Amino acid sequence: MNPATPIAGDFVSLLAAHKLAALPSAPSSTAPVQTQATTVFAFHYADGILMAGDRRATAGNVIVTDRVDKVIEIDASSLLAIAGVPATAFEMARVLQTSFEYYRRSQLQPLSLPAKVRALARLLRENLPMTMQGVGVVAPLFAGLDQTIHPAKPRIYFYDPLGAQFQAVDYVASGSGSGTIRSILSFQERYGSPHPSQMKLGEAVKFALRLLMIASEFDSATGGVNPATQTYATIKTLGSKGVESLSDEQQAAFLK
Amino acid sequence: MTEEPYRWLEAVANRREYVRDQLKGGSPAFAVSLPEGILLLGVGSGQSKVFELFDRHALAGLGHPADIEKIRQAAIDAAHTESFTRAPEDVSLRRLVSFGMSPQLKTNFEQIFAAPFLVELLLAEIGAEPDKDLLLRLYFDGGFRFQTGGVMVVASQPEPEAAAQGWLNRELAGRQDRREVADLLLQAWWCLVEGKSFGDALPAAAERQAGWRAATKDRVVELGWLARHSNRPAHYEALSLAQAGL
Repeated sequence: MNPATPIAGDFVSLLAAHKLAALPSAPSSTAPVQTQATTVFAFHYADGILMAGDRRATAGNVIVTDRVDKVIEIDASSLLAIAGVPATAFEMARVLQTSFEYYRRSQLQPLSLPAKVRALARLLRENLPMTMQGVGVVAPLFAGLDQTIHPAKPRIYFYDPLGAQFQAVDYVASGSGSGTIRSILSFQERYGSPHPSQMKLGEAVKFALRLLMIASEFDSATGGVNPATQTYATIKTLGSKGVESLSDEQQAAFLK
Repeated sequence: MTEEPYRWLEAVANRREYVRDQLKGGSPAFAVSLPEGILLLGVGSGQSKVFELFDRHALAGLGHPADIEKIRQAAIDAAHTESFTRAPEDVSLRRLVSFGMSPQLKTNFEQIFAAPFLVELLLAEIGAEPDKDLLLRLYFDGGFRFQTGGVMVVASQPEPEAAAQGWLNRELAGRQDRREVADLLLQAWWCLVEGKSFGDALPAAAERQAGWRAATKDRVVELGWLARHSNRPAHYEALSLAQAGL
């Protein structure tokens, strides 16, 4: 009925069978000025994981936009936060979204968390030529639900641009503003009260928004949070029941 | 040589008869458009009758499991490739069936030296409003029929299917409660598998209800729900009988 799929349920191999590339790359001798997106982070709070990102994209010293959503729902139980070149990162998100749903629908079961984590690692490895040329560098964060235990437990992973994957125990940050964020998260985790992992949703959201405010003071590529101009972050949570998004109105209410 | 076309016609007619004979005893399936979504129902062994195809699309059917699987897989491949190369909004039932599934089923049916697909299918696409809901009946020979909203039945034989369709059209008119609708679909399912009449000799409601309860004891009632309003791209949700209020 249809051309054979080389690997059952694998969307990338289905694309290859149709002679379509998931992430086409071509060698280039010169790198254009790249649009980049920073800063994203994730930490465990009392009810799961909170993943947040500012909304600024820059190209050199130019602010391209302050309305980018860098935290992306991949499926009902997975989140991706992108730092790096949006053109490549958004395409990776699209490949993952289609791949995970394709697998779930065709194989009549969801993809396991380790397979999801590796799927992103594979895309990063396939992006190696672009990374080595200095165009298309992506350093993403991934969060997914470990369904092998009950109740399902959310986990956070981070990657290097070559595709190595690591699990983050408490928190992680990526992008140009990540140094500031990691320092504050480390301090709060060690000496603060409550620890991020003990915060309720309202506290965690307020903390995340303040983290971005501080990061934007030290990094011009990080868009801040400014209630006066209705500029908020992209914030999503992942708990045992799946992904939830927090609207600007909800963030404003928590920040008051 | 002059008799060859007649042999071909005869072969196709024999093939039609063969497929109908093989499909006898297949468990019927249903789809109903409601204000809050589309309900699909079949009775099988679990993940065997009702399936999610894409964000706004679902399939139900009867026939040989391997043939249902081949067609389901082809539809999923086509929908996801279309979604990835264009956009999820470009995946439509009309295009999936008119330019993909139907021509392939027809070609297969007319290749008289290859085994035909033993399937009868029903597909659904949820719209933004009930009058944009599409139900589609796809026959084993590639023929298809579109319908906007309402109820659609897929059964192994045309006459009982038409009788059940007529009865459900009357019974479901004005009904919006998902539990009541699912109950009526199961009553129709029981009448079809038991060979009961939908005319004057139709058993009483209590007998029909007791009938489907007893007949589904060792089987799985497969319910699919395409929600009209969803926060997620995927509108499909598999329901249990309890979730449907039964």
